[in-house]
Amino acid sequence: MPDLDVLVIGAGPAGAVAAWQAKQAAPELDVVLLERDPAVGSPVRCAEGVGDAGLREFATPDGADWAARKITRVIFLAPDDTEVKVTERDVGWVLDRTRFDAHLAAQAAAVGAEVLVGTEATAMSRNGDGRWHVRVKQRGVDEIYRARVVIGADGVEAMVGRWAGLDTRVPSRDMESCAQYVLQGIACDPDAIYLQFGDTIAPGGYAWIFPKGVGVANVGLGLVALKTDGRNARQYLDAWVARRYPGAARAGYTVGGVIVHTTIKKTYTDGVMIAGDAAHMINPLSGGGIVNAMKAGRLAGCTAAAAIRAGDTSDRRLSAYHHAWMELLGDDHLKYYRLKQALENLDDAFFNGLARTVNRIPQGKRSLGRIFAHALIKHPQLIPVAARFFV
Amino acid sequence: MRRVTPAEIAVVDLAVCDRCGLCLPLCPPEALHLELNILTVDRETCTGCEKCIAPCPVGALDMVAYA
Repeated sequence: MPDLDVLVIGAGPAGAVAAWQAKQAAPELDVVLLERDPAVGSPVRCAEGVGDAGLREFATPDGADWAARKITRVIFLAPDDTEVKVTERDVGWVLDRTRFDAHLAAQAAAVGAEVLVGTEATAMSRNGDGRWHVRVKQRGVDEIYRARVVIGADGVEAMVGRWAGLDTRVPSRDMESCAQYVLQGIACDPDAIYLQFGDTIAPGGYAWIFPKGVGVANVGLGLVALKTDGRNARQYLDAWVARRYPGAARAGYTVGGVIVHTTIKKTYTDGVMIAGDAAHMINPLSGGGIVNAMKAGRLAGCTAAAAIRAGDTSDRRLSAYHHAWMELLGDDHLKYYRLKQALENLDDAFFNGLARTVNRIPQGKRSLGRIFAHALIKHPQLIPVAARFFV
Repeated sequence: MRRVTPAEIAVVDLAVCDRCGLCLPLCPPEALHLELNILTVDRETCTGCEKCIAPCPVGALDMVAYA
């Protein structure tokens, strides 16, 4: 029955950074990182897009084997296929998540955290000894790990949060049902990401093309089931791909859920913190969660290390994690959520009109900020949206 | 724990289910479990609310009579 200090459940970006930062902050502590799948970073349930600035806080993409493609252009597609190009410097990257997640886990291992793959946490309880007893299964054998602090970085299922008594439920309107193919042999700008909106394409979400290389891209969509005509996400994807890329080869396929909700009200309790997708930290507007997961993982890891050193891992002590998160990103998160809600009421006709308005702005002057400003003038119904965003 | 026995409960087609876990946080009574790469529905906890059915990206969940 191993006794340890910090048990991180889930070796995605949140968990790997949590383990890495906890061990780096307090090398004398026993830090273990669990991954139920046979390998870190696989299967990939992700569109793999990430912003440049946030990524660089944790890893350097230039020349890295885990950075598949550098992105310098964003192309929006209106429902009627009108293209709107936006050029910003250093937009971001499309990652190879299998290699990237392995890189982060290697960072954790390099500072001395123990990484265990093929090891699944199946239950958790308190036993009056100040530790969480976590039932763990590895190669068919059950074991109990007794940890001072458990960090739940277990993604959309959020079982650690559930076992700890936190409310991890998601309302149906805040769940994006997603499906994605890796398509080979397609024609698209390999330095650009494409995003298409449309009620018949991806109701309540959007479709994307994120290039992995020349002629290869992650092609997928996310939608809200409440707004569909009864077909599921994969059926919507098949219809869109059949129209846009009928001859393309499907080299890969994945499905999953992206939670577009505000952060869980309480992301901690005695001896427990939850981070990343598990804590509903995905950006509600873009659906991007990798950077937020790493930032939360860093906060959780550092909080765990400091709390154990201070001999206090109580609910009150760990609340510092939640407050640090809310100060770092919580307000922006709420603004993005409100903007998402406002955009839900805008229909295809609006987006088609907006595309035409923006295309009248000279290409070189088409920053996201300018687009918004021009759009406000021509489309007054956007004003309440902007007000909620900027308030 | 449910108080009313539902007429129908959710059932999963394991040949279609991709084990993505999307359905778990949608379930108000927490009747869905994913362990050892198998999704199960707890027959005695499911209230038949159907919140898991439509959002499944591959349509692996359906309703059947609770017999």
